[in-house]
Amino acid sequence: MPAPKEARDGSDFGKIKGVHLVPEEELYTSGHRTCEGCESALTMRQFIKVAGPRTIVTGSTGCMYVANTSYMTTPWEVPWMHTQLGAAGASAIGTAAALRALQRKGKDAREKVNVIAFCGDLGGGDMGLSGISRALQTDYDLLVILYDNESAANTDIQATGLTTWGAQTTFTPTGSADRVNRASMRWKKNVAAMLAVGHPNARYVATACATFPPLDYMNKVKKALALGGPTLIHSLDPCPKGWDYHPRYSHEVGELAVRCGIFPLWELTDGVLKYNYDARKNRKPVKEYLECQGRFSHFEQSDVDFVQSKVDEMWDSWEVPGVLPVKTGAVRRPAT
Amino acid sequence: MTQKALGAAYEAEELLTGCQAVSHAVRLADVDVIAAYPIRPYTEVMDTISKLIADGKFDAEYIIADSEHSQFEIAKHASAVGARSFAGSSGTGWMYAMEALAVTATDRLPVVALVGNRALDDPGAFGVEHNDALSVRDLGWLLVWAATAQEALDTTLIAYRVAEDPKVMMPCAVAMDGAFLTHSQHMVRLPSKSSVKKFLPPYSMGNRRLHPDNPISIAPQVNEDWVMEIRRQQFEAMSASEKVIKEAYQEYNGIFGTEYDNPFLECYKTEDAATVLVGMGTVVQPAKMAVDQLRAEGKKVGFARVVWFRPFPAEDLRRELASASSVGVVDRDVSFGSPDLGGVLFNDVRAALYPAKRRPTISGFIAGLGGREISIDDCVKMFAETSEYAKRGVGSVSWIGVRE
Amino acid sequence: MWGSLIPETVRDARELASVKRIEINYRGIFQKQLAKKIANYVVYVAHSEGKVAFSNGRYSDSPERNGVPCKYFTFVSSDLTEGQLEAVCGSKMDIESADVSVVLDDTMVKGVEPWAWHGIRPVNEKIGPGGKMIVVTTKSRGELVRFLGRKPFAYDLALLEGEASFSGLWVFKDDSTDVRVLGAIARADPGLVSIKAVEAYTRSAFKGEKAKAARLAHDSLLMHRVEPSEGIDWPHAPPRLPSWKEMREGLVVPAVSRAYAKGPRGQSRSTTYLRGTTKSARPVVRFDLCTKCTLCWLECPDECFDPTTDGLFDVNYDYCTGCGKCAQVCPVEGCIVMVDELRFDNNDSPWERYKIAPEDYVGWAKKSAGGDYVLHNVVTGTGVRRVKVPEGKGKRS
Repeated sequence: MPAPKEARDGSDFGKIKGVHLVPEEELYTSGHRTCEGCESALTMRQFIKVAGPRTIVTGSTGCMYVANTSYMTTPWEVPWMHTQLGAAGASAIGTAAALRALQRKGKDAREKVNVIAFCGDLGGGDMGLSGISRALQTDYDLLVILYDNESAANTDIQATGLTTWGAQTTFTPTGSADRVNRASMRWKKNVAAMLAVGHPNARYVATACATFPPLDYMNKVKKALALGGPTLIHSLDPCPKGWDYHPRYSHEVGELAVRCGIFPLWELTDGVLKYNYDARKNRKPVKEYLECQGRFSHFEQSDVDFVQSKVDEMWDSWEVPGVLPVKTGAVRRPAT
Repeated sequence: MTQKALGAAYEAEELLTGCQAVSHAVRLADVDVIAAYPIRPYTEVMDTISKLIADGKFDAEYIIADSEHSQFEIAKHASAVGARSFAGSSGTGWMYAMEALAVTATDRLPVVALVGNRALDDPGAFGVEHNDALSVRDLGWLLVWAATAQEALDTTLIAYRVAEDPKVMMPCAVAMDGAFLTHSQHMVRLPSKSSVKKFLPPYSMGNRRLHPDNPISIAPQVNEDWVMEIRRQQFEAMSASEKVIKEAYQEYNGIFGTEYDNPFLECYKTEDAATVLVGMGTVVQPAKMAVDQLRAEGKKVGFARVVWFRPFPAEDLRRELASASSVGVVDRDVSFGSPDLGGVLFNDVRAALYPAKRRPTISGFIAGLGGREISIDDCVKMFAETSEYAKRGVGSVSWIGVRE
Repeated sequence: MWGSLIPETVRDARELASVKRIEINYRGIFQKQLAKKIANYVVYVAHSEGKVAFSNGRYSDSPERNGVPCKYFTFVSSDLTEGQLEAVCGSKMDIESADVSVVLDDTMVKGVEPWAWHGIRPVNEKIGPGGKMIVVTTKSRGELVRFLGRKPFAYDLALLEGEASFSGLWVFKDDSTDVRVLGAIARADPGLVSIKAVEAYTRSAFKGEKAKAARLAHDSLLMHRVEPSEGIDWPHAPPRLPSWKEMREGLVVPAVSRAYAKGPRGQSRSTTYLRGTTKSARPVVRFDLCTKCTLCWLECPDECFDPTTDGLFDVNYDYCTGCGKCAQVCPVEGCIVMVDELRFDNNDSPWERYKIAPEDYVGWAKKSAGGDYVLHNVVTGTGVRRVKVPEGKGKRS
């Protein structure tokens, strides 16, 4: 682990300490074709607020591309470019490399320009993993924000590797022969932890939820940008369209996801883990979270129990609860 | 070689492979960002670049990508931010990059790429086949074939000049035959940086540059109200490129003392030829020898090498082949199920000659796939078959050198 | 494929009175299944009558977004062949004119803007002379017509009693709106589908109350004539799309110019896409109860709040999509209430109004919220409940 670099703007990374201190100007503004209550739009709005105008954003194919620039328009006030579905990592590298080369060779004035690549759970968590992996190995200043609405949402909701176990999507519908679709029976990929463990060079990897706890996500963005080097934030974005709940409840649904422990909230700074919500001690029943979403309307008690048991396992049995499923210690012998 | 012999615009002469010649062109062009990924037979261009950088002879960001798709996305995004960028691949690697290649063209970004022509997997043969580079022919890439290492160096510098021209702004693929050109070593004259600077203006994206000083959005989602107009712009750029290419070669000749005549079509003894073979890449060497041999026997034959495949030199072909009554097209590629089962070049040449006042018979030859040699004798045979078909008044397609 | 009746010219085919076009205006996602069901039922019924029909959604609406106005189409003909109907009506991205225009959420009479560069269009735009518009509503004729665009000819407005039926993707609210609209279509335009065929279809396909609902809707439908003098001069012109020479190269569009100042409309916003027509309800803010916690502004996914000089937050209704998050996160009960969009006829700044005459404004806010309001259940398709507007004294937990 390399020695930690000095934070560029003080030891608290210029943390926003109260809601009245959030920058007021919008750099991602009204006029995007996102769903009512879209938390991913909120995630974009908030990251660029704190990143500021000296930022280049790349947006991979997905809702946060198509729903924002349809058609031949843009809600962005900072430079933004579309990139391909699995190319978030590569787009961040290319952008950062260009800035570094041009500044070093004297073709551009030297300045810190933020590079933020925004990708979804499909493009980032599945297809684009190799590119993000490489990005996290470089020494460029770049931030990959993986917004997770737990589906391929722009194609009208299909399951991805990050979709919650058992959820209905158009690829995992409930049916008379298969109540909980067998293709949906896979536990959510632990992508942030996976990337953190595999890339010790990255000084900051975190999970986040745009609305809970208040200001947590925005401060994580600030911290990532201030620390420098390659960084990653995985944000859970409740999706009224895909998850099937009325848009006005987006905040509650996100908060419930965190409070019931199904979405671990943590940050890893220079290898030191901190829980931003400690679900080891206090967890709401997963049932509360599941029953407010129509995508789980086909669940029976046994399914709820199963999900609860996996969440409990994550917090009660994992080596690093909510983060690392690896166990150390004696191997259990099979019963004779 | 003395400086006088080299020529004022050059600084050295070195023994270089085709790949290495391109590496030096990339150095001389002061490229800013290079994205590398290994695949035979183009890899050496990246090996050489990385050594030049490590030895302090070249300042650029050099990124080892995680895949060809990422490689070309890196180059594309670097280009959008205003960095001159370079990438390359071969065969199945170029296929892996396809999505990135398509959008680089429609994003109108002047990335220059080396394609070390290699047969497409499967099977994993490393030898030359042109289908890799040809696969972008409809997408809005400029596409040019070099036949010698010197030409590869010149063409790469010209590629940046043309691609970055504000009237053009398209990516350019510089193709060279795998093994035969990528790997064989010839003496190459290296221009000086100062003369290259005279030829190649700095790269500028103007008001299309992605940078905080120029807030724009690039590539919003569109629907049926926009695509026709966007493609029309690409069409305009490709149409404009012909003139820009001509001007670029003239300037190049002026500064470097080269003698590129027609940049699109290298014509060897075609003026009065009754039978002409057409081909691309290193086949030009045995073809020219065959022409000389047959001419000595009194046969009026000639060879036309298509240099720029996109934009395709249709006018030039019609003009240069006006005397020919029979034409044979050598395809170092395949196009299964195509009209009359001919190769890609065959059908493009046929299409180009269709409006000619006097249509020659056109024969097609599939030859030299996967690194199989095309010998002087093969060329003599192809000339013979081509004029045979002329006597019969029909054209046909045949395969050369296949074990039956 | 081409039957015995081959029109003299393609133009004849287009003008054959036997070709009927239905468009269904609906709220994206919320009414996606509903619109598709209705469109498809029409095909089934027409088919049972020996007619030729097909249906499709408007492709550019897709992917649908919660609340954004969409359209579904069905085309019916009694004497063209399938191929001819396809040639005349199919392989198109939009519709030229509609014989019947269904509106599944009455708030859409305020206008529809489905995407950028489309413009805010009147919902009756495609209706031709003698055309029929069927609106699912609890409102009176007058309450709707006051928003509709004026047309140079008369057309019919049919009111089908009911609240807008909203669902989500996985839980569908089966309240028989689908078959009721079918019955209404048969009443509005019997030449399109007959009630006899509709009844035969619904009785065979459904059970219980649903099997009879089409007939009941047909019989109870209120039909009104709208005269050429009625409605408003439509205030929004469709945008002119640039030529390929005018467009910047390389898929470049300029960013929204930066501009920010405190106060109403102080924040720069898009000019090509406003989004305001997405909403069925808008937040009415009781500035007198506001504690300036910032949460409404902070949590708005559409950047609709403008921070003001006194620490309050103005709402820009041109851009508000009516998601209701602000109402839900506001910690003061009754401070923000989502109110039926049809109760408002302008998008003026509420904060400005409040500053000029605070008591007037508060009185107006209380009045426009009315006695109770519709609150959607968490899972949209499980229905709505009516909630009394709180007095606005206490904080919510």
